[in-house]
Parts: sequence; C-alpha cells; structure tokens
Amino acid sequence: MTLLIVRLRLRMWRTALSRSSVQLVSAIIGGLVALGAVGLLGPSIALLAARPLALTAVTVPLFAGVTLLWLVLSLVATGVDNVLDPTRFTVLPLRAPELARGLLAATLTGIPAVVLTLLALAQVLAWSSHTAAVPAALAAAVLGPLTAVLLTRAVTSALAGVMTSRTGRLLGAAVVALATLLPLVLNLLVTSGEPGLSLRSLDARGAAVVASWTPVGWAWGLPFDVATGRWASAVVHLALALGLLAVLWRVWVRQLERVLTSPMTSGGGQHIGRGRLLPRLLGHSPTAAVAARRVRAWYRDSRLVSIALRTAVLPVFFVVQAAVTGTGALAGTGVVTLAVFAGLTLMNDLAFDGPAWWMHVSTGVRGWEDRLGRVVASAVVFGPVVALTFVVSVGIGAIEAVLAWLAVVVAAFGASLGLAAGVGAVLPGTAPRTGGNPFAASSGGAAQGCLTALVSFVGPVVLVLPVVVGAVLSRGSALLGAVVVVVSVLYGAGLLAAGVVLGGRHLDRTAPEMLGRLGQVQV
Amino acid sequence: MTDAPGEGPALELVGLVKEFRGRRVVHGLSLAVPRGCLYGLVGPNGAGKTTTLSMATGLLRPTAGTARVLGHDVWADPLAAKAVMGVAPDGLRLFEQLGGRELLHYVADLRRMPQDVSRPRAEELLTVLDLAVDADTVVADYSAGMVKKISLAAALIHAPRLLVLDEPFEAVDPVSGQAIRTILRRYVATGGTVVMSSHVMELVEGLCDRVAVVAGGRVLAEDTVAALTATGSLHQRFLELVGAGDVSEDGLTWLGG
Repeated sequence: MTLLIVRLRLRMWRTALSRSSVQLVSAIIGGLVALGAVGLLGPSIALLAARPLALTAVTVPLFAGVTLLWLVLSLVATGVDNVLDPTRFTVLPLRAPELARGLLAATLTGIPAVVLTLLALAQVLAWSSHTAAVPAALAAAVLGPLTAVLLTRAVTSALAGVMTSRTGRLLGAAVVALATLLPLVLNLLVTSGEPGLSLRSLDARGAAVVASWTPVGWAWGLPFDVATGRWASAVVHLALALGLLAVLWRVWVRQLERVLTSPMTSGGGQHIGRGRLLPRLLGHSPTAAVAARRVRAWYRDSRLVSIALRTAVLPVFFVVQAAVTGTGALAGTGVVTLAVFAGLTLMNDLAFDGPAWWMHVSTGVRGWEDRLGRVVASAVVFGPVVALTFVVSVGIGAIEAVLAWLAVVVAAFGASLGLAAGVGAVLPGTAPRTGGNPFAASSGGAAQGCLTALVSFVGPVVLVLPVVVGAVLSRGSALLGAVVVVVSVLYGAGLLAAGVVLGGRHLDRTAPEMLGRLGQVQV
Repeated sequence: MTDAPGEGPALELVGLVKEFRGRRVVHGLSLAVPRGCLYGLVGPNGAGKTTTLSMATGLLRPTAGTARVLGHDVWADPLAAKAVMGVAPDGLRLFEQLGGRELLHYVADLRRMPQDVSRPRAEELLTVLDLAVDADTVVADYSAGMVKKISLAAALIHAPRLLVLDEPFEAVDPVSGQAIRTILRRYVATGGTVVMSSHVMELVEGLCDRVAVVAGGRVLAEDTVAALTATGSLHQRFLELVGAGDVSEDGLTWLGG
C-alpha cells in the first residue's frame, strides 16, 4: 500500500508536468533552487567537522530552527503537499494507519523532504570528527526530518479540523498569526543579545543546550550530547524525541480517521447577516459588487482569515522591535513592508475564486471592473491597518522623518496593489480548495508560486525605489518633503491605474483561457 | 413553434470545432435553435454537450467556427451576446461564501440592473424555487439540488431572451423539478428560448419541442420531438442513433455470484 501511494504521487506529478509548460518550467526552477540549497549549504555544514566543538554545536540550534521553520512555513505559506488529498481515499477500504504510512512515505520522497534529509546527512559529516557522536548524528538525521514532516502533518490537519467552524476559524487564524511571529520574536531575542557576533569567536554551545531542550531540538541535540559526554541527557533526549514522534503519529492518524469517516465540510447551515453596510458604503456598480464580495470573503473564508490576521499582526512586531531597539528605520520599514504585503495579497485573488469566476465571464463584467473591485476590497481591508500602524509609529516616536516615510508608504501601497492587479491577471497563482484543508498546496503550485514570489519580491523594490531616492534627497526641507509626498501619491495612483487597466485589458482578451486555468488552481 | 418570420434563430452554431491538445472533441458542429423553442441537447457521456454549450456561451473559446446569440456573435461581440443570455453551467462552482440572496444580488449588480427591479425579482425567484428559507445560508452549505436551483435563479434574474442550461434537472427533487418545468414552459410561451442538455430521454421527450442528438462531437439527428419519436420512444431512437454497446449476457458473471 505504501509503495502504491508513493507511485501514485509520482504519476500524478508526472502527468501534471506533461500537461502544462508553466508547471514544467517552475518545477525545473524549484529543482534548481533545491539543488542550490543542498550544493551551497551541504558542504558548509559538512565542513564544520574541521572546526572546534563550540562551532560544530551550531548544528543543534540551526536544525531545530529549520524544523520550526518547516512547521511555520507550512502554516503561513500553505505548504502542505496535498497532491494526495486524504478525502479522496474515503471510499476505499483503507485504515487510517495504512493511509498515514503511505502519505508519510510520499511526503518524504518529495523534493523539500529530500533536501532536508540531505542536509541532515551533511550534519552527520559535521560530527565526523567526534567518532562517538556519529551514530547519534545518524539517529538525529533520521528522527529530525521525520519530526519536521510529522509535526507539520499533525498540526495542520488538527488545525484544519478545528477551522471548519466559525469560532474555530478565528482560533486557527490566531494560532497561525502567532506562528508567523515566532521566528520574528526569535530574531528579536537574538538581535537584542550582544551584537557583532563573529564566526571565529562564536560559541554555540549555550545555544545548543537551549535548543536541545525544545521539542524541535530533542532529536538534533543527540550528537551534541554524546560529543560532550553528557550521556544522561542524550538518553533523555532520545526518549523525548521518540515519544514526540509517537504522539504526533497518533494525532495525525486520529485526524485521518476523522477525515476518512466524515469528509471535511463546513459546520453546515452557516447563516449570515444581511450585510447592509457594505452596499451603502460602496454602491451597486459591478466594481462595488466585486469589492463587497471580496471584503466579505476576508472574514467569511477560512482560507483568507488567517492571511488577513497574519498581515495585520506583522507590523505590530516591527513597531515593537523598533521601540525596543530604538531604530526608527525599522518601524518605517515595517510599515512599508506591511503596505507591500497588504497590496500583494491581491496577487492570487483569482485563484481563491477558482472556477466560480465563470460568473464574471458569463455576466460580461469588464476586466477593469474585476480588477478595480478587488483593489477597492484590499484597500478597504488593509488601508486602515496601514494608516493606523503608521499613525501609532509616529505617535510613539518610532518614526521621525514623517513626510519621507509617508511618501514611501503611500507609493508602496499603490505600487504593490497595482503590481498585483496587473500580474494577478496573467498569473492566477494557487489557493487551497474551498472547504478543503486551508493549508494545502500542490508541489506544482508551490513551484509556480516561485515565479510569482520572484515578481512579488523584486517588483515592489524596483517600483518604490524612485520614491525612496526622492524621500532621501528631500530630507531636511519641509517644502521638498511635501512635494515628494504629493508626487508619490500621484505616482502610486498612476501605478495602480496602470495595473487595473493593463490587467483588465488582459482579462478582457483572455477571459475564457483564464477560466480554463482557474479550473486547476485550487488544490 | 413561435418562430417569428424575418428573425434569425435564437442560437446559431456554425462549424464549431474544439481541440484539446490536438485531440478533436467537437467536429464542425452546426445547429440552429429557433426562437421561442424549448430545445433539448441529448447525447451519451463525453458527447461534447458541455463543451458545445460552453463555446456557445462565451466560456470556452472554440478552435474554429462561430456562435451567434440572437444575431450577436458571441466571440466577436461578447458583451452584447452575454447581455441577452442567461447561463447555468453544470459542474462549475458558484461563489460559495455568499448566501443565496447575496448571490442573486451579486449577479444582478454585475449585470447593472437597477435595484428596484433586481431586489423584488430575487425575492420572487427564491420563493418560487423554494429557497426562501435558506436565502441567508451560504451557498457552500447548499445541497446539490439547491445549487442547481440557485444557479437557475441567477441565470433568470435579468430576464434573458435565451437561456442555456446544462443538466438543469440533475439532483433536483420532483417538486422543484415540476416548478422548474413550469417556469421553463411559461418562459418559452412568452417568446423566450431555452437550450438545455440532458441525458434523461424521458425528461426531454416530455418537455422539449425540438431535440438534437449529439455523439462524438457531431450532430447525429435534429428534429422536432414529434418527428423523432414517430417510430418509437426517444429512448429507443437514441439507442439506435448512438449505437448501444450491448453488455453481453455472459459478462460480469462474478457480480452478485
């Protein structure tokens, strides 16, 4: 059965690649990125063998961090490989543990898990100068990746189960939002410690001890324990790591049992209010109708609730960090980042609609109305958050060059909205299936996401750069500053209009083709 | 038949061809649906019914051929064609985060209908189709039959002159089915035109005026129901035309053994 499921996954993957050149290209890009990661990181990790123990110990916090990041990424970037959706197996006489074994094997043979395993093997080489630690490092290389994969599966499936009800959705969204902040908080802790760490003087032993006592570090701490001769803690760590695996396996199998016997649907009979406020605010034009629907989706759709919450929580962290460390640029950058992220959430808006978008095609909605409606929705949802964060940052004194930062924030919001409205009309991106596991992502989708991600990272930087230059040059002059603000407002509005018009035209020309692609964007 | 003289057909398909990755699924299909007619499109699974209807309604671009709706070329002037046509596809999802009433309002707003027309119409449609109780439930929680009914309502709300329905009776209970039949007959009696696909022969025979039998992406026969059923039931004619693959008597003997 396990082998059968692994073969099924490979076959589905091959079919997907042979049917779409976009998938093929992005799979190749994804493969190259994976090769690059192994080729660059692998040797650097292995070369730690030549370094003193104090430095080799860095593998413990490093891999514990990777394991944590693995979970966080699967929550925030919806990265659970859902090519094999467990609900598709409901009609087969399969017991949950059998299915779990198969799905686990299929995940472990996927590219991300293979990359992690290869890096874990490099970790074994890193400990090769301490002969006694090698078997322990090998055990870590087996237990560590297993923990990462099982942890992700257990947590996401449990959350997906919880998030089928409305209160559950909010709970899940809160958990996801906190998970996003976790690495940022760690970063805050690290940077608030002594700055100016150099590789030569680095002593990772303290960090290794701390990391080895966290659940994600139990397995990875084994070689360090053995190398430092702390056999007792090695035994405890091994027991804890094995126990954790057993618990995670139980949780996941339980969730699979639930899915197999009651396919995931929303709680049923979800009643909604009449919602009179939005039409009153926006009117009844097609653009307003699209905007109102998308605003409603931001709080009704479990797939979007977590994205919204996460985006809104993000700046709080930046502002706090700025207040703690006293660097104004950090708060400013935080607000700009929020503006960019908020704008870019529009990028895969079409994918969230999926094939239901036929209603726009058959009613003859103009492309620009579709685009503008979505832009308005994002502005209504995120505009106040951006504005509030900015005002609070200024209020607590975290931002000092107010006009300059204002110019950059406005331009960034407009530019990223425009970029997303334009690019989103060409590359619909991917989204989890409606009512399905909100954390799902197909491997092909993740790879297509690479292309979109590239556009998302490079695009805003390039577009906002002129305003940044203007803002820097105008520092010190209130008049020039005001001019830059006005120009950047016009600039942002211009980019926004360009995105709406160009994206709209493209949709007008290729609506049926886009509809065809939207049939495959939800996984 | 209320085919007004001097007016073209309600739906005219000429030489429609569709290829998917070089595989041709619709082979130069031509049809003319007269105005004021309840027109049935029947065919076996995979006959190309849905593909043809998608090309006729502007949802799928044909590889070759033209589709005209009340004189408007669907692919040259899509907005004019879409304005006079109502569509309810089969198997495409709706915006499931909206309630039934919201969905109707949404479609009406997209079609630029004034509110004082669209809001009362929405209420009436919800009542007639027995959806009033669930009007504030999100469509995600609707049953398959309710989804069929709400998509029909969404296709009707702007009072189109041509209605294109893909499998409108699938999963619909007998009571609602009767309501839909009444709506469609009344609509046709007032000059509207309906094109519906189905693979339930009895339904088409009892409801439609004209029928086209489609298989393998070609029209095998096209006539009034009366003419097609002159020598037997539509069911028998269909099996003759399509060529029923007999399940041999001694096949599947292990089943039920």
